[in-house]
Amino acid sequence: MTLSVALGPDTQESTQTGTAVSTDALTAPDIPWNLVIWNDPVNLMSYVSYVFQSYFGYSETKANKLMMEVHKKGRSIVAHGSKEQVEQHAVAMHGYGLWATVEKAAGGNSGGGKNGGPGKGKGKRG
Amino acid sequence: MAKAFKYGLKGITGFLEPAERELLRSLFDDVVSMLQPEESSSQDPLAALIGLDMDVREPSDRALRRLLPNVMKDDGAASLEFRQLTERSLRETKIGALRAAALDLDKDELVLAAADAKHWSMALNDVRLVLAERLDIQDEADADHVHQMQDWSQAEDVESYLALVYNFTTWLQESLVQAMLQSMEPRP
Repeated sequence: MTLSVALGPDTQESTQTGTAVSTDALTAPDIPWNLVIWNDPVNLMSYVSYVFQSYFGYSETKANKLMMEVHKKGRSIVAHGSKEQVEQHAVAMHGYGLWATVEKAAGGNSGGGKNGGPGKGKGKRG
Repeated sequence: MAKAFKYGLKGITGFLEPAERELLRSLFDDVVSMLQPEESSSQDPLAALIGLDMDVREPSDRALRRLLPNVMKDDGAASLEFRQLTERSLRETKIGALRAAALDLDKDELVLAAADAKHWSMALNDVRLVLAERLDIQDEADADHVHQMQDWSQAEDVESYLALVYNFTTWLQESLVQAMLQSMEPRP
């Protein structure tokens, strides 16, 4: 697996803030942001998985799992980090033609990124 | 008939008939012309140089809006601000991929290195997004309906012709992405 330069929001910051820091202690820049990919009837499942693998450096298994979540649930949080980081990812996703948006993570105790699955155990919004 | 892309010793290779090359060339060119930013006289040259565009608005054309979507779901103002900072370079990224793919069509044989293949997959994807808006593909049922159109002898109107073109580019992109995924697997 090749790690791309843009990788790593969940392994660097969130794992620490998620375990030790309480919600109150988080100042605005610390609040993690999510990168959301939305389903559409055009993008090929294979292509979406390829983008997740090649851009984020995700394993085939993880990329396919996130891709299926987009396909079945309509959306999936595929990365998180600072606002600047996820905005940069969003532009890259738009470059590939994927429908991506950024949003503030719901609440402070989202558990950080549990390495494997961003989006896992996240509070549902809406 | 075109042959599916394959991954082998030479890299990713494909074969297209002359008519298919001409079709793809015109599709790539069409999307490039959609994406070319309008030059406004009030544009600050320095701002343009660093990619800022303060005159930019959310596109009114649906297909263009799909190529250049808002970065936030429910915040038009923040999305517009972000668009001013990033849309110009996003357009340039897309135009770059489309032009690179069009250039490859000049050669007799399609032999794609990793970077070329990436440009091709992005270019084909953008073409399909535009065609899908023109065909009004809103959900999976619409997509299935369009997918049933496979016989070129049935092409009687613009819509059925567009559907055939969409299905051709879908098939081509799928075979390309499969070859790209194979090329990413570690060799034994």
